Amino acid sequence: MNGPQLLPDEIAQQVADTMFALSTPSRLQILAYLQHGPRTVGEIVDAVGMEQSAISHQLRVLRDHNVVTVRRLGRSRQYAVRDEYLIGILADALSHITSVDQAMPAPAIRAAS
Amino acid sequence: MTDDPNFTPPADRRSATDRAHIGDIEGALGTLPAHDTRPRRTFSARLATLLAVIGPGIVVMVADNDAGSFSVFAQAGQNHGTGLIWVIVLLCPALFVMQEMAARLGATTGVGFAMLIRQRFGRIWSWFSLTQLFGLNIATLLVEFIGVRLALGYFGVSRYVAVPLAAGALITVTAGGRFRRWERAMYVMIALDLALIPVAAFAHFHGAPAAVGGHAVSQRGDHAGLLLLLALFGSSLTAWQLFFQQSSVIDKRITPRWLNYERADTAIGAVLFGLCAAAVVAIAAAAIGNGMLHGHFHNVGDVLSAVDIQLGGPAAAVLAIMLLNASLLCAGAVSLSGSYALAELLGTKHSLHRRFSDAPWFHAAFAGMIVLAAAIALIPGLPPGSATVLVQAGGALLLPPMLVLLLLLANDHAVLGPQRNRWIQNAAAAATIAFLAALSMMLALRTVFPGVRLHVNNLTIPAAAAAVTVAVVLAHTLYQRLSGSAEDPDHELTPWERRTWTTPALERIDPPSASRLRTAALAAAAGYVAVVAVLLGYAAAGL
Repeated sequence: MNGPQLLPDEIAQQVADTMFALSTPSRLQILAYLQHGPRTVGEIVDAVGMEQSAISHQLRVLRDHNVVTVRRLGRSRQYAVRDEYLIGILADALSHITSVDQAMPAPAIRAAS
Repeated sequence: MTDDPNFTPPADRRSATDRAHIGDIEGALGTLPAHDTRPRRTFSARLATLLAVIGPGIVVMVADNDAGSFSVFAQAGQNHGTGLIWVIVLLCPALFVMQEMAARLGATTGVGFAMLIRQRFGRIWSWFSLTQLFGLNIATLLVEFIGVRLALGYFGVSRYVAVPLAAGALITVTAGGRFRRWERAMYVMIALDLALIPVAAFAHFHGAPAAVGGHAVSQRGDHAGLLLLLALFGSSLTAWQLFFQQSSVIDKRITPRWLNYERADTAIGAVLFGLCAAAVVAIAAAAIGNGMLHGHFHNVGDVLSAVDIQLGGPAAAVLAIMLLNASLLCAGAVSLSGSYALAELLGTKHSLHRRFSDAPWFHAAFAGMIVLAAAIALIPGLPPGSATVLVQAGGALLLPPMLVLLLLLANDHAVLGPQRNRWIQNAAAAATIAFLAALSMMLALRTVFPGVRLHVNNLTIPAAAAAVTVAVVLAHTLYQRLSGSAEDPDHELTPWERRTWTTPALERIDPPSASRLRTAALAAAAGYVAVVAVLLGYAAAGL
């Protein structure tokens, strides 16, 4: 049934899964924070301002959906965005909402400390 | 609602823990597109919707009639004739009230029971509930595989063939990645289970007349009778069912829009459970109720042999197939309750809509539990009969605190909004919890102090506890009404908004408010756990 212009069903499901991973404000905040480079859980907790257990859970969801990768650094774990395409998705989404509502000022991404 | 009869607003959940939990309902008996939320005006439209929605309730209730229940209900029939049928009459409404709360929590929040407990009650309760879930699940699975062993053993199949075959079949059906295929397999097993009812009718009319005067348990107050009574409750009201139905409702993509159909599903399931349980009691009573084995239950294998002698080979063969089927159905559901909880807490994908490679943790947890239990069941020399009763009684002992958590969640305004419990649901649930807790305490006390004379009719104490609890709930409700604090915080919602209200993402809702009742209930639950632990520790030390 899929014409040449459609995505194969399997691929559409996978894309939807990736979008699902980016579908809550807290997970987007984590992605926005991580786009400037790898960070430890402690740094993410401080920056995003949520409880450690909530951040850990969201990081596990992001990891399960291949959005972030984890690396052991001594006693702590360091998280990084898996690939730059994800940063592109975030940037495009920001451009999109800006173009939808021209009256709205471009949302500033919180600067990484 | 708008004026256009063909358009109603979508009624999706606001949050989900797995993308596969959002979309069309793909039931074994029909599909329900996510956008089709129109009112069902004709009987046929309602029936079609019901057929698409039903599943979680029926599966959880019929699966409840597992090898363990078979064993305990057969024991009740064998040792007490049909005298304990009244327990089943009490169990059905209790099951409905508890499972309806779990189904409502699932449809409204989109979050499993284990995750909700961690979010609303913290780490300690989370660990408590997970430990008891997994501990009891492994024990229950063990009972199921012993059931498989006994059932196929009746046909002369070696356990080394029967058990691995059963385990492999379960894993294949579940890891297929199609919710509909899984549900169809469940329905086939349920249909087979229901064949028990005609067998019971046959046994009733062709077997030996059942022994009368089976009230021995309630009047004598002996230890074994108490244990059996608690096992009857424990085999029927279980924690895994709460975890299972809540997750299954979510995975089936049932939203609050379909909650009334899901309630019907749960009610139908509760009735089917009662019929199947009564059938097992009747068969065991008819086959051996007045024979030499009366009062000397050993295990279900004996029941099979007795049925063979009393009613003939075909009846016993049918019963053996039933036993096999019931064991497999329950094993599948019990393992799922654990794998849903585990994968959700780990933040990994957890859905029957996903294949093994797509949700590896979820499916591996399922397969792991099945394989572990199957391996233990192959160890020779396990005593099947008594082990079963201990598992059931242990489950009943640990259940009251879980039910307290369930009841608190069902009253949590931040979690359920306009769909939280009404007073009648609270009264029914609280009465069940009090009854069960009192029964459990009596058993624990008897175990530690065999000399304690609980010679008053055994059920007076649990019944009194239940009555007092109902009175407290009523007084509390009345007080709220009179003091005006019962004002509905959702009064500005339209009827449609009420019916389709769903919980926002858990991280965004208000932390639980520390009401006096909530604190008291949690303290009581913790106190109960402590007392049971001390009593059982004392009993174990004395052994």
